[in-house]
Amino acid sequence: MAANTETMTINMGPQHPSTHGVLQLILELDGEIVVKATPHIGFLHRGIEKLSEHRTYHQTIPLTDRLDYLAPMSNNLGYVLAVEKLLGITDEIPERVQRIRVIMTELTRLKSHLVWLACHALDIGAMTVFLYCFRERECITDIYEKVSGARMTSNYFRVGGLADDLPDGLEGEIRTFVESMPAHVEEYEGLLTGNRIWQKRTIGVGEISAEAAIDIGITGPSLRASGVDWDLRRDNPYCGYEDYDFDVPVRTGCDTFDRYRVRLDEMRQSVRIILQALDKLKPGPILADCPKIVLPPKQDVVNNIESLIHHFKIVTEGFKTEPGEIYQGIEAPKGELGFYLIADGSAYPFRMKIRPPSFVNLQGLPQMVEGKLLADVIAVIGTLDIVLGEIDR
Amino acid sequence: MTPEVLTLSETPWLYTGVMLVKIIVAFVATLLIVAYATYAERKIIGRMQTRMGPNMTGPKGLLQPIADGLKLFFKEDIIPSQAHWFAFILAPMMILAPAFISISVIPFGGDLQFSYDGILYAVPMQITDLNIGVLFIVAMAGLGVYGIVLAGLASNSKYALLGGIRSTAQMVSYELAVGLSIVAIFMLSETLSLRGIVAAQQLPLWGLESVSFIPNWYIFCQPLAFGLFVIGSMAEINRTPFDLPEAETELVSGFCTEYSAMKYALFFMAEYANMITVSAIATTLFLGGWGGPFYGWINFLIKVFAFMFFFIWIRATFPRLRYDQLMFLGWKIMLPLALVNIVITGIAILLW
Amino acid sequence: MFKEFAKGLSITLKHLLPGNCTTVQYPKQKLEMPPRFRGLHRLIPTPDREKCVACYLCPTVCPAKCITVVAAENEAGEKYPAVFEIDILRCIFCGYCVEACPMEAIEMTDAYELANFSRDDFHFDKQRLLKP
Ligand code: SF4
Ligand code: SF4
Repeated sequence: MAANTETMTINMGPQHPSTHGVLQLILELDGEIVVKATPHIGFLHRGIEKLSEHRTYHQTIPLTDRLDYLAPMSNNLGYVLAVEKLLGITDEIPERVQRIRVIMTELTRLKSHLVWLACHALDIGAMTVFLYCFRERECITDIYEKVSGARMTSNYFRVGGLADDLPDGLEGEIRTFVESMPAHVEEYEGLLTGNRIWQKRTIGVGEISAEAAIDIGITGPSLRASGVDWDLRRDNPYCGYEDYDFDVPVRTGCDTFDRYRVRLDEMRQSVRIILQALDKLKPGPILADCPKIVLPPKQDVVNNIESLIHHFKIVTEGFKTEPGEIYQGIEAPKGELGFYLIADGSAYPFRMKIRPPSFVNLQGLPQMVEGKLLADVIAVIGTLDIVLGEIDR
Repeated sequence: MTPEVLTLSETPWLYTGVMLVKIIVAFVATLLIVAYATYAERKIIGRMQTRMGPNMTGPKGLLQPIADGLKLFFKEDIIPSQAHWFAFILAPMMILAPAFISISVIPFGGDLQFSYDGILYAVPMQITDLNIGVLFIVAMAGLGVYGIVLAGLASNSKYALLGGIRSTAQMVSYELAVGLSIVAIFMLSETLSLRGIVAAQQLPLWGLESVSFIPNWYIFCQPLAFGLFVIGSMAEINRTPFDLPEAETELVSGFCTEYSAMKYALFFMAEYANMITVSAIATTLFLGGWGGPFYGWINFLIKVFAFMFFFIWIRATFPRLRYDQLMFLGWKIMLPLALVNIVITGIAILLW
Repeated sequence: MFKEFAKGLSITLKHLLPGNCTTVQYPKQKLEMPPRFRGLHRLIPTPDREKCVACYLCPTVCPAKCITVVAAENEAGEKYPAVFEIDILRCIFCGYCVEACPMEAIEMTDAYELANFSRDDFHFDKQRLLKP
């Protein structure tokens, strides 16, 4: 007698403990085996691209904080670099600014990877790693807070420079923290890497070949774990990354375990970069010498009528750009974060298109989970390191 | 004067009274341990995770379990409209009852002697000494599965259903491995009575007088069975790394997703009661029960708590296995190992 | 395999020892906010009035459009804000208003406990913003 079987459809999310936000997955299950997975997105859509068309270039920076809210400074950087490229002032950015931007974005990478590791491990059941990671992340948010005044929505980089210099004594604090970081990474590895259960749950799970990854457009650690040696910091440097000596970790396992190891190695490399940048950090201006674009210093505004006029003009009207189109991609913690700007000569962008890494990486999910078990869906969502703020924009 | 054994036929009132006292003491003690096991778990895992655990309710948070109980007791009890209400209500009870019943055959101390009416009586510190104690426990563990299946089915929710199915498969397969691993024990002890098994473990190791300071605990001659039993029972009581039925990150809360208020509390209590039962059984079968340097039941409790600490510690450290890997481990590794262990034990018994 | 398990177990056991706790007992013990912290706004007063001259820079620059300013002139012929209101529910705490103010008349304090019971309580008018 033929058994009468049918598949079961379950809604995973948008309210589910491990869809990392408001992702909805429609899973068709045959027993515990996933037959079909369809991601539904858009629950966190705030229309950041559209909003930016009605904001001056300057006013869009705080909106970018809310893209990948686990790595706000990377978003700030991507946007700011794009606008600077549009204005043609990329070469005028002072050295100190470049260094601080590198330090802060690499800290951001650590921050983002820590949250990723925490949630990924928690999803697979290793609770303790979660809290250890957040302990270190807390130090980074403290640094964020001292630098920019906010723990998550930093809004620190400005077109042409920075909102403010690093506060006194913070360099030492960053150095102490960063130097302690490798030992912590060892600790996480001690709990996970060699553990048979962890290996069983991750090795061979969510495999995606290099060709398929390139076809979909996967970037970042997920691509590098499939054996593609591609990192924008090295292959298309920005912000003076060519000055630093670092390796791009690449592995060929194509699976969740190797993506895990790539990210851990990246954390170690970030530490190297930050230490080099701290060594090279010299006093200097923190704003480019472009009076039409950057706000004048506060004491000048009060004392100098010319500065006051500039200040009023920039604040009320923003700055105008030449008409044109540019694309600027950076290596954000999750992959290539790109900003595509079309300018029509006014103070507002005609169109801004964001290429969020999570959005593209998510497209790999159905391929990775179909035919696998329900529990692997969780592992794969974790390993893709998606953030819904960025996917839905 | 040798003490008399209390019997129902000769001293019915005394017998009933003593029995009631034993039941109440054992029941209340178990309930208290259940309550404070939740507290201990939260505190220990908290510390391991650089947190504090509960510390606001009462001194050092000691009243937290009571506060939790009160809260759950007064919460609205929701029965989903699509659920089957009778099965839905029955399920939590069916889980809790077997978990507590198993305690009744576990000996937690030697004999207690007291004189009444000029006659010296001996009362075993055990509610009842069934001569098939081990089988009784295995049977009760088997009953617990029904509650979970029922909870999964009656909730009429897909997540609960998946949790229920997982749990059934898991408990059925691990029960086999656990059952077989303890077969080797009663091959050695030649009795199924838990009291008899403990008594057999009070002798010196392997009957050698030269090492008489080491007791003949079965953990020494059956390390493999001990390992299998501990792993298997972790799976049977759904503790990490085998907590798939309620794998929070996959199935929300597994079979108890739809439960709330006191019914949820019953599941929760059953989980911890099971943990206590399993620790108590492991203590009785492998660690010589109440034997040890201190007074009877103190030894017993120390061993039980050590086991519970171990379970909590494991939970703080390890990730969770996947469903198919769990089945693989149960059927293809633990079951053959348990069988091999029985064969080896059999041969060893024949040769000596 | 067992070595790795033991290693993991030893790491968690190590943290069980006292002195590893990182919890801050929040409501009892509060963290010191760094000077740049962007919390609730405050209008800076002068001895007889507020410093703000109602220049409309902050409402213009605000990306969330949550500041309402209505300018007026007092007897001395100075401009002052007759109305100065911030809708904290819309505010994204970006700090642009502080950056834009040419008079340094507005600042962000370290108050972050902003929860309240009704929506109206989140409209901060001039009187409330002037409070230290
Ligand atoms: S902090 Fe930003 S959003 Fe809030 S009032 Fe000031 S400018 Fe507007
Ligand atoms: S920018 Fe300053 S002076 Fe101008 S309206 Fe705002 S608070 Fe007042």
